[in-house]
Amino acid sequence: MTILLIFAYIFLILIGALLLYMTFKTDDRRYIYLAVGFYVIFPVIVTLKLPIMLSPEVKQLYDAVEALPDSSTVMLTFDYYPSTLAETEPMSHAALHHLFRKNCKVVTMTTIPLGGPSIAERVTRELAEEYNKVYGIDFVNLGYKANYVAVLKGMGTSIETIYPTDNSGTPLSEIPMMKDIENYGDIDFIFVVADNSIVDYWISIVNAQYNNPVGTGLTAVMAPRYFAYIGSGQMTGMLGGMKGAAEYETLLQKPAAANMGMTSQSLVHLFIIFSVIAGNIIFFMGKKGKSRKSA
Amino acid sequence: MKTTVPIIAAFLSGFVMLLAFFFNPETSALGKLEPEVLSWVTIVGGFTLLLGVVSIVRVNYSSVKRKSSGWGYKLATLISIFAMAIPAIVPVRWSSLFGTGTGSIYDWLFNYIDSPMMSTMFAMLAFYIASAAFRAFRARSAEATLLLVTATLVMLWRVPMGEAFLSGIHPDIPDLINTYIMNGANMAVQRGIIIGAALGAAAMSLRIMLGIERTYMGK
Amino acid sequence: MTFQQFSLSNDVRNLASASRLGIFPIILLTILIFLIPAFSFAQADSDPSANSYFRADRINALIAMVLFSVVILIYTRWAKAGKDLFIRKINGLDEVEEAVGRATEMGRPVLFVPGIGEIDEIETIAGVSILGRVARITARYETPLLVPVRYPMVLAAGQEVVQQAYIEEGKADSYDKDIVRYVAGEQFAFTATVNGFMMRERPATNIYMGAFFAESLLLAETGNAAGSIQIAGTAQPAQLPFFIAACDYTLMGEELYAASAYLSREPLLLGGLKGQDWMKVLIIILIFLGIMLVSAGVSDWYLSMFESV
Repeated sequence: MTILLIFAYIFLILIGALLLYMTFKTDDRRYIYLAVGFYVIFPVIVTLKLPIMLSPEVKQLYDAVEALPDSSTVMLTFDYYPSTLAETEPMSHAALHHLFRKNCKVVTMTTIPLGGPSIAERVTRELAEEYNKVYGIDFVNLGYKANYVAVLKGMGTSIETIYPTDNSGTPLSEIPMMKDIENYGDIDFIFVVADNSIVDYWISIVNAQYNNPVGTGLTAVMAPRYFAYIGSGQMTGMLGGMKGAAEYETLLQKPAAANMGMTSQSLVHLFIIFSVIAGNIIFFMGKKGKSRKSA
Repeated sequence: MKTTVPIIAAFLSGFVMLLAFFFNPETSALGKLEPEVLSWVTIVGGFTLLLGVVSIVRVNYSSVKRKSSGWGYKLATLISIFAMAIPAIVPVRWSSLFGTGTGSIYDWLFNYIDSPMMSTMFAMLAFYIASAAFRAFRARSAEATLLLVTATLVMLWRVPMGEAFLSGIHPDIPDLINTYIMNGANMAVQRGIIIGAALGAAAMSLRIMLGIERTYMGK
Repeated sequence: MTFQQFSLSNDVRNLASASRLGIFPIILLTILIFLIPAFSFAQADSDPSANSYFRADRINALIAMVLFSVVILIYTRWAKAGKDLFIRKINGLDEVEEAVGRATEMGRPVLFVPGIGEIDEIETIAGVSILGRVARITARYETPLLVPVRYPMVLAAGQEVVQQAYIEEGKADSYDKDIVRYVAGEQFAFTATVNGFMMRERPATNIYMGAFFAESLLLAETGNAAGSIQIAGTAQPAQLPFFIAACDYTLMGEELYAASAYLSREPLLLGGLKGQDWMKVLIIILIFLGIMLVSAGVSDWYLSMFESV
C-alpha cells in the first residue's frame, strides 16, 4: 500500500511538472486548467485519508452547540445559492448531524429565493430520516420570505407574523413544535450557513439587538473578513470553507463530503504553490539573462 | 426642471430614511417609514423588470434577425427566457406542471439545468485562480515578495497536506499563522478597508442627498 | 484611500475665517438636528429606549453623523470659495482616458461593467457616476462602448447617464439605446454573457467599477485572456485580491467613491474628500485613545459610547 502511495505521489508530481512545462513552452494557460482538473478528479479515483487539524474558530462553534442543553431550539439558515453547494452543503449536513444527535428542535429558513427553500427541504429531510426525526415535532422548514431586513427584524417580535405558514403552506399554529416558539427569545442558538453578506445582518440585527448567539458557516473567500466579528465576540465560531466543514465533521467523528474534498483541495493548493515558485524561478532566470546581455 | 426635481426627490428620500433610523418604529410614524420606503423600492424594482425584459429581447432579437456573429447564442437566450418564464406565469390551477412549485416545469429546469450551470461557473474559479496566481505572483519588489510569502503560508495552512507539512517543521506554525496572519494582519487590514469604504460611502451619500454629486444623473 | 496632505495650520486659519464663508447656516442646522432628540426626550417616559419616539440608544450614531456632515459641508464650502485642495494621484483613473484612446486606435470596443449590485447600493451609484465620465470620452473619440447590467433599475440609470454624456459631447446622433443593455438577473448567467462577449468581440479596454462578488475573477481573468487593458474598482474587500491579480489597475475601497470627484476635478466634490480624511484622522485618534484606556483598565465608559446599535 505504501509503495502504491509513493508511486501515486511521484505520478502526481510528474503530471504537474509536465503540464507546467507545457504552459511555459506554449504560453497557453489551458495546460494549467488541465492540471487543476486532473488534481480535482484524481482523489475521486484514488482515495487518500488525510489528518485534519482543528482551528479555534471551528472548535468554538462546536463547543457552543455542544454546550446547548438537549432539546434546545436552534435556528439553522440555508442562506446560499446552488452555485456554492459544494462548499456550503457539507456545513449544513454537519450542523444537522450535530443538532439531531443532541435532540435539538431545528427551525430552518432561507433568505435566498432561488433554490434556498428546496435545498433546505432536501437536506433536512435526508438527515431527519437518518435520525428518525418527525416533521413538525423535531424540525420545521419555514422557507423563504422576501425583504430579508424586514424578515430578520420581524422575527424578533413574532415569527408567525413573518411566516404565517411553513414552506409547504401549513399554518404555523397547526405545527406542534412552533407552539412554544414565538420569537428570537425562544431560540437558543442561530447557526447561519451563508455564501453572501446576509451574515452582516444576522450579526447587526439579531445578535446585536436580540442578543442571540450566532455561529456561522461561510465560503472560504468570505471567511477572512469575518475574523473581526469573532474577535469582537459578535460571532460564536465560524466554519471557513470546505476545510471548516471538514474540521466540524472530524469533531463529530462523521467524515463525509468535506473530508473527501480535502485531498482535491490539498493537491490543487500545492500545485498552485508549485507553479508560483516555478514561475518565479523562471522570472528571475529571465531577468538575470537579460542583465547579462545588456552588460 | 430636469435636474431640480430628481435632486429634491433624492434629498427627501435620503432624509426620510436617515430620520427613520433614529426613531422608534413601534411608537412613531417616522420610524415606520423605513420598511414602508423599502417596500416602495421593491415595487418600483418590479416594474422596471419589464424594462429589462424589453432590453434583452430587443438586443438579442435584432442580432438574430441580422444573423450577426454568434446569433445562435442569442437565439438560445431568447428560447431560454420564454421556456423558463411562460410555464412559471401560467396559472397553476391549469396543471401542476405550471407555476413555480415542486414538480413544475420551472422547478425541473431550475434544479437540473440552471442550478448545475451556476455550480459549474462558480467551480471555474478554481481554474482561474490557478492561472491568475501563476501569472501575477512574482517577487518583483519587497511588497510583492511579502504578499507571495503570506499567500503561500495561508494556502498551505488551509489544507491538511500543507498543515501537516508546516507542523512537521514546527508544531506551532499553524497556530502562529492563525494568530498573527488571520487574526492579526488580516483582521486589521480588513477593518481599515471597511472603515475607509464606509466613510467614502457615507460621504458620497451626503453629496448625493445635497445635490453636490450629480454625476449619477449624467451631469 | 485618499491620503491628502494635511496642513493643520492652514486648516485652523481656514476655520477662523469660516464665518466669512457663511458657515452659520451649517452650525444652525447642526443645532437644529441636535434639538430633535432633546425634543423627543421631553416626551419620553421613564425608559427612553423602550417607549420614546426617539431611539436614545442610537445617539452615538447621530452625533457621528452630524459631526461627519458638518466637516464635509465645511470643506465643500471652502472648496466653493476657491480654496486649492490637493488630491493625490490615482493611477487607475489617470489611465482611463489612455485606455479608451487605445481602444480607439485599435478600432475595438470599450466594455464597462458597473458591478452586479442594485441601484440602491452606493457602490453601484459610484460605478454609474464613473460610467458618465467614461461615456464622455468614448463619445468624444467615437469609440464603441458596451455596458452590460444585471438589474433593470441600473439599466434605466445607465441609459440616462450615457445619453446625457453623448449629448454634452455633441454626439447625440451616435448614441444608441443598446449601449447599456440588460443581460441577466442571475449572477453567473450575467458573468457567462459578459465573458462570452469578451472572447468574441475582444474589447481593447475593460473597466469594472462597482459592487463585485464571486464573479470578479471570472470576469477579470477572461478579460486578461482576451488581451484587454483592465481597470477595476470595488469596495468589496474580499474581491480586491482577485482584481489586483488579474487587472492592470485597481481602485481600492474609498478610491472608488473618490473617482467621480477625481475625474471631474470639480472643487465641490473634492471638498467632500478632504472632509472624509479629517474624519479618518478622528477615528484613528479615537482608536488610539481606546487602546490606551483599555490598556489602563479604565475603558468601560469609553467603550459604552461605541456600543453597537
